[in-house]
Amino acid sequence: MNANAEDFDINSRLKMIENMMAEGRRSTESWGWTFVLWGLAYFVATAWSSVGSGSKLAWPVTMIAAGILTGFGAGRNKNGQPETTLGRALGAVWAAMGMSLFIVLFSLGLSGHSDMHVFVAIIGAMLGSANAASSLMLKWKMQFACAVVWLASVIVASFGTEQQAFIAFLVATFLCQIVFGIYAMMCESRRRKQMGAVHA
Amino acid sequence: MPELPELNPVIHGKLRLALLSLLAGVEEAEFTWLRAKTSSTDGNLGAQLMKLDEAGYVSVEKKFVQRKPQTLYRITEAGRAALAEYVRALKQLLGAAINA
Repeated sequence: MNANAEDFDINSRLKMIENMMAEGRRSTESWGWTFVLWGLAYFVATAWSSVGSGSKLAWPVTMIAAGILTGFGAGRNKNGQPETTLGRALGAVWAAMGMSLFIVLFSLGLSGHSDMHVFVAIIGAMLGSANAASSLMLKWKMQFACAVVWLASVIVASFGTEQQAFIAFLVATFLCQIVFGIYAMMCESRRRKQMGAVHA
Repeated sequence: MPELPELNPVIHGKLRLALLSLLAGVEEAEFTWLRAKTSSTDGNLGAQLMKLDEAGYVSVEKKFVQRKPQTLYRITEAGRAALAEYVRALKQLLGAAINA
Protein backbone atom coordinates (compact mmCIF):
# COMPACT_ATOMS: atom_id res chain seq x y z
CA MET A 1 0.00 0.00 0.00
CA ASN A 2 1.55 3.37 -0.91
CA ALA A 3 1.45 6.42 1.33
CA ASN A 4 -1.47 8.07 -0.51
CA ALA A 5 -3.65 4.94 -0.46
CA GLU A 6 -2.93 4.44 3.24
CA ASP A 7 -3.66 8.08 3.91
CA PHE A 8 -7.06 7.77 2.14
CA ASP A 9 -7.87 4.59 4.02
CA ILE A 10 -7.09 6.17 7.39
CA ASN A 11 -9.12 9.26 6.55
CA SER A 12 -12.08 7.22 5.33
CA ARG A 13 -11.93 5.08 8.47
CA LEU A 14 -11.88 8.12 10.74
CA LYS A 15 -14.79 9.61 8.76
CA MET A 16 -16.75 6.37 9.06
CA ILE A 17 -16.19 6.19 12.83
CA GLU A 18 -17.40 9.79 13.15
CA ASN A 19 -20.47 9.15 10.94
CA MET A 20 -21.44 5.96 12.72
CA MET A 21 -21.14 7.48 16.20
CA ALA A 22 -23.21 10.46 15.07
CA GLU A 23 -25.80 8.16 13.49
CA GLY A 24 -26.51 6.60 16.86
CA ARG A 25 -27.26 9.99 18.33
CA ARG A 26 -29.23 11.24 15.33
CA SER A 27 -31.57 8.27 15.37
CA THR A 28 -33.33 9.86 18.31
CA GLU A 29 -34.05 12.97 16.26
CA SER A 30 -36.24 11.56 13.49
CA TRP A 31 -39.39 13.22 14.71
CA GLY A 32 -39.99 15.75 11.90
CA TRP A 33 -43.34 14.18 11.07
CA THR A 34 -44.77 15.07 14.51
CA PHE A 35 -44.12 18.77 13.84
CA VAL A 36 -46.05 18.53 10.56
CA LEU A 37 -48.85 16.50 12.19
CA TRP A 38 -49.35 18.98 15.05
CA GLY A 39 -49.07 21.95 12.69
CA LEU A 40 -51.87 20.50 10.57
CA ALA A 41 -53.85 19.71 13.74
CA TYR A 42 -53.61 23.36 14.86
CA PHE A 43 -54.83 24.52 11.43
CA VAL A 44 -57.71 22.01 11.43
CA ALA A 45 -58.75 22.98 14.98
CA THR A 46 -58.52 26.69 14.16
CA ALA A 47 -60.64 26.29 11.01
CA TRP A 48 -63.17 24.05 12.79
CA SER A 49 -63.49 26.35 15.81
CA SER A 50 -64.29 29.28 13.53
CA VAL A 51 -67.28 27.41 12.08
CA GLY A 52 -70.55 28.07 14.01
CA SER A 53 -71.88 24.96 15.79
CA GLY A 54 -69.62 22.46 17.51
CA SER A 55 -66.76 24.96 17.76
CA LYS A 56 -66.40 24.24 21.50
CA LEU A 57 -65.35 20.69 20.71
CA ALA A 58 -62.94 21.61 17.91
CA TRP A 59 -59.75 21.92 20.01
CA PRO A 60 -60.36 19.02 22.44
CA VAL A 61 -61.35 16.61 19.65
CA THR A 62 -58.50 17.63 17.33
CA MET A 63 -55.93 17.49 20.15
CA ILE A 64 -57.10 14.01 21.19
CA ALA A 65 -56.98 12.79 17.57
CA ALA A 66 -53.47 14.26 17.08
CA GLY A 67 -52.37 12.75 20.41
CA ILE A 68 -53.58 9.29 19.38
CA LEU A 69 -51.86 9.57 15.98
CA THR A 70 -48.63 10.71 17.66
CA GLY A 71 -48.78 7.79 20.10
CA PHE A 72 -49.37 5.35 17.27
CA GLY A 73 -46.55 6.80 15.14
CA ALA A 74 -44.17 7.00 18.12
CA GLY A 75 -44.72 3.31 18.82
CA ARG A 76 -43.75 2.43 15.26
CA ASN A 77 -40.85 4.90 15.23
CA LYS A 78 -39.40 3.57 18.50
CA ASN A 79 -39.39 -0.01 17.28
CA GLY A 80 -35.76 -1.13 17.04
CA GLN A 81 -34.36 2.32 17.83
CA PRO A 82 -31.48 2.46 20.29
CA GLU A 83 -31.77 4.06 23.70
CA THR A 84 -29.67 7.15 24.43
CA THR A 85 -29.51 9.59 27.32
CA LEU A 86 -29.96 12.49 24.91
CA GLY A 87 -32.99 10.78 23.37
CA ARG A 88 -34.59 10.30 26.78
CA ALA A 89 -33.88 13.93 27.73
CA LEU A 90 -35.45 15.22 24.50
CA GLY A 91 -38.39 12.87 24.89
CA ALA A 92 -38.94 14.11 28.44
CA VAL A 93 -38.98 17.78 27.32
CA TRP A 94 -41.53 17.16 24.56
CA ALA A 95 -43.67 14.76 26.58
CA ALA A 96 -43.90 17.22 29.48
CA MET A 97 -44.71 20.08 27.10
CA GLY A 98 -47.28 17.96 25.25
CA MET A 99 -49.09 16.88 28.42
CA SER A 100 -49.19 20.44 29.81
CA LEU A 101 -50.35 21.96 26.54
CA PHE A 102 -52.95 19.24 26.06
CA ILE A 103 -54.47 19.78 29.51
CA VAL A 104 -54.47 23.58 29.16
CA LEU A 105 -56.01 23.59 25.67
CA PHE A 106 -58.48 20.83 26.52
CA SER A 107 -59.66 22.66 29.66
CA LEU A 108 -59.79 26.11 28.07
CA GLY A 109 -61.54 24.70 24.99
CA LEU A 110 -64.25 23.01 27.05
CA SER A 111 -64.74 25.83 29.58
CA GLY A 112 -64.76 28.55 26.94
CA HIS A 113 -62.65 30.80 29.23
CA SER A 114 -60.02 31.38 26.58
CA ASP A 115 -59.56 34.37 24.33
CA MET A 116 -57.18 34.71 21.41
CA HIS A 117 -54.50 36.62 23.39
CA VAL A 118 -54.29 34.02 26.17
CA PHE A 119 -54.54 31.11 23.75
CA VAL A 120 -51.68 32.27 21.48
CA ALA A 121 -49.52 33.37 24.43
CA ILE A 122 -49.83 29.95 26.10
CA ILE A 123 -49.10 27.95 22.94
CA GLY A 124 -46.24 30.30 21.93
CA ALA A 125 -44.61 30.21 25.38
CA MET A 126 -44.80 26.43 25.72
CA LEU A 127 -43.67 25.59 22.20
CA GLY A 128 -41.03 28.33 22.38
CA SER A 129 -39.51 26.92 25.57
CA ALA A 130 -39.63 23.30 24.31
CA ASN A 131 -38.01 24.25 20.99
CA ALA A 132 -35.39 26.33 22.80
CA ALA A 133 -34.51 23.49 25.20
CA SER A 134 -34.36 20.97 22.35
CA SER A 135 -32.28 23.24 20.10
CA LEU A 136 -29.77 23.94 22.89
CA MET A 137 -29.36 20.22 23.55
CA LEU A 138 -28.97 19.39 19.85
CA LYS A 139 -27.06 22.61 19.00
CA TRP A 140 -29.53 23.04 16.14
CA LYS A 141 -29.73 26.68 15.00
CA MET A 142 -32.77 26.11 12.79
CA GLN A 143 -34.79 24.85 15.74
CA PHE A 144 -33.59 27.75 17.88
CA ALA A 145 -34.96 30.07 15.17
CA CYS A 146 -38.33 28.31 15.63
CA ALA A 147 -38.15 29.01 19.37
CA VAL A 148 -37.54 32.70 18.61
CA VAL A 149 -40.54 32.81 16.22
CA TRP A 150 -42.84 31.19 18.84
CA LEU A 151 -41.63 33.59 21.54
CA ALA A 152 -42.15 36.51 19.15
CA SER A 153 -45.76 35.36 18.75
CA VAL A 154 -46.11 35.60 22.56
CA ILE A 155 -45.07 39.26 22.41
CA VAL A 156 -47.48 39.95 19.53
CA ALA A 157 -50.29 38.17 21.44
CA SER A 158 -49.56 40.21 24.57
CA PHE A 159 -49.39 43.64 22.99
CA GLY A 160 -51.24 43.33 19.68
CA THR A 161 -54.89 43.20 18.70
CA GLU A 162 -56.87 39.95 18.59
CA GLN A 163 -56.46 39.80 14.82
CA GLN A 164 -52.68 40.35 15.06
CA ALA A 165 -52.43 37.58 17.67
CA PHE A 166 -54.36 35.23 15.39
CA ILE A 167 -52.11 36.05 12.39
CA ALA A 168 -48.99 35.59 14.56
CA PHE A 169 -50.27 32.15 15.58
CA LEU A 170 -50.94 31.10 11.98
CA VAL A 171 -47.53 32.34 10.80
CA ALA A 172 -45.67 30.65 13.68
CA THR A 173 -47.58 27.40 13.12
CA PHE A 174 -46.78 27.43 9.41
CA LEU A 175 -43.08 28.27 9.83
CA CYS A 176 -42.24 26.31 12.99
CA GLN A 177 -44.46 23.27 12.54
CA ILE A 178 -45.09 22.71 8.82
CA VAL A 179 -41.95 24.21 7.24
CA PHE A 180 -39.57 23.12 10.04
CA GLY A 181 -41.16 19.65 10.17
CA ILE A 182 -40.71 19.14 6.41
CA TYR A 183 -37.13 20.45 6.67
CA ALA A 184 -36.37 17.98 9.50
CA MET A 185 -37.85 15.12 7.45
CA MET A 186 -35.74 16.14 4.44
CA CYS A 187 -32.58 16.22 6.61
CA GLU A 188 -33.39 12.74 7.91
CA SER A 189 -34.02 11.42 4.39
CA ARG A 190 -30.76 12.93 3.09
CA ARG A 191 -28.84 11.39 5.98
CA ARG A 192 -30.29 7.95 5.28
CA LYS A 193 -29.12 8.19 1.66
CA GLN A 194 -25.64 9.28 2.73
CA MET A 195 -25.25 6.22 4.96
CA GLY A 196 -23.77 3.68 2.62
CA ALA A 197 -23.48 -0.08 3.10
CA VAL A 198 -20.64 -1.29 5.33
CA HIS A 199 -19.13 -4.67 4.64
CA ALA A 200 -16.43 -6.63 6.46
CA MET B 1 12.28 6.98 12.37
CA PRO B 2 9.57 6.71 15.07
CA GLU B 3 7.85 3.33 15.44
CA LEU B 4 4.38 3.26 13.91
CA PRO B 5 1.54 1.94 16.10
CA GLU B 6 -0.07 -1.43 15.36
CA LEU B 7 -3.77 -1.44 14.62
CA ASN B 8 -5.99 -3.71 16.73
CA PRO B 9 -6.93 -6.56 14.30
CA VAL B 10 -10.26 -7.20 16.06
CA ILE B 11 -11.44 -3.66 15.38
CA HIS B 12 -9.69 -3.23 12.03
CA GLY B 13 -12.39 -5.19 10.13
CA LYS B 14 -14.60 -2.54 8.52
CA LEU B 15 -17.93 -3.96 9.71
CA ARG B 16 -16.63 -4.56 13.24
CA LEU B 17 -15.28 -1.00 13.32
CA ALA B 18 -18.66 0.34 12.13
CA LEU B 19 -20.50 -1.73 14.75
CA LEU B 20 -18.28 -0.58 17.59
CA SER B 21 -18.59 3.05 16.43
CA LEU B 22 -22.39 2.75 16.24
CA LEU B 23 -22.56 1.23 19.71
CA ALA B 24 -20.26 3.95 21.08
CA GLY B 25 -22.97 6.54 20.26
CA VAL B 26 -25.84 4.74 22.01
CA GLU B 27 -26.50 3.00 25.32
CA GLU B 28 -27.79 -0.17 23.71
CA ALA B 29 -28.99 -1.25 20.26
CA GLU B 30 -31.03 -4.06 18.80
CA PHE B 31 -29.66 -6.49 16.23
CA THR B 32 -32.21 -5.24 13.68
CA TRP B 33 -31.12 -1.62 14.10
CA LEU B 34 -27.45 -2.52 13.65
CA ARG B 35 -28.36 -4.55 10.57
CA ALA B 36 -30.28 -1.61 9.07
CA LYS B 37 -27.48 0.89 9.77
CA THR B 38 -24.74 -1.29 8.30
CA SER B 39 -26.83 -2.86 5.48
CA SER B 40 -25.21 -6.20 6.28
CA THR B 41 -26.66 -9.70 6.17
CA ASP B 42 -27.85 -11.55 9.28
CA GLY B 43 -25.06 -14.13 8.99
CA ASN B 44 -22.22 -11.68 8.51
CA LEU B 45 -23.51 -9.34 11.21
CA GLY B 46 -23.96 -12.19 13.69
CA ALA B 47 -20.45 -13.50 13.01
CA GLN B 48 -18.82 -10.08 13.46
CA LEU B 49 -20.79 -9.34 16.63
CA MET B 50 -19.72 -12.72 17.99
CA LYS B 51 -16.06 -11.81 17.40
CA LEU B 52 -16.55 -8.53 19.24
CA ASP B 53 -18.31 -10.39 22.05
CA GLU B 54 -15.48 -12.95 22.30
CA ALA B 55 -12.97 -10.09 22.51
CA GLY B 56 -15.01 -8.60 25.37
CA TYR B 57 -15.77 -5.43 23.40
CA VAL B 58 -19.57 -5.83 23.40
CA SER B 59 -22.04 -7.44 25.77
CA VAL B 60 -25.14 -9.29 24.60
CA GLU B 61 -28.53 -9.51 26.24
CA LYS B 62 -31.27 -11.74 24.89
CA LYS B 63 -34.83 -11.26 26.08
CA PHE B 64 -38.44 -11.52 25.01
CA VAL B 65 -40.56 -8.43 24.41
CA GLN B 66 -44.25 -9.18 23.82
CA ARG B 67 -43.28 -12.82 23.15
CA LYS B 68 -40.83 -11.79 20.42
CA PRO B 69 -37.09 -12.47 20.87
CA GLN B 70 -34.95 -9.34 21.14
CA THR B 71 -31.15 -9.22 21.16
CA LEU B 72 -29.56 -6.12 22.63
CA TYR B 73 -25.90 -5.17 22.26
CA ARG B 74 -23.89 -2.74 24.39
CA ILE B 75 -20.31 -1.58 24.07
CA THR B 76 -18.25 -2.53 27.15
CA GLU B 77 -15.64 -0.38 28.88
CA ALA B 78 -12.95 -2.53 27.24
CA GLY B 79 -14.59 -1.94 23.85
CA ARG B 80 -14.75 1.80 24.39
CA ALA B 81 -11.11 1.88 25.45
CA ALA B 82 -10.07 -0.27 22.46
CA LEU B 83 -11.96 2.02 20.05
CA ALA B 84 -10.36 5.11 21.58
CA GLU B 85 -6.93 3.48 21.30
CA TYR B 86 -7.66 2.50 17.67
CA VAL B 87 -8.65 6.08 16.79
CA ARG B 88 -5.51 7.38 18.50
CA ALA B 89 -3.39 4.92 16.48
CA LEU B 90 -5.13 5.93 13.22
CA LYS B 91 -4.45 9.58 13.92
CA GLN B 92 -0.83 8.79 14.67
CA LEU B 93 -0.56 6.91 11.35
CA LEU B 94 -2.26 9.80 9.56
CA GLY B 95 0.25 12.21 11.08
CA ALA B 96 3.10 9.96 9.96
CA ALA B 97 1.66 9.80 6.42
CA ILE B 98 1.37 13.59 6.25
CA ASN B 99 4.88 14.13 7.60
CA ALA B 100 6.39 11.51 5.24
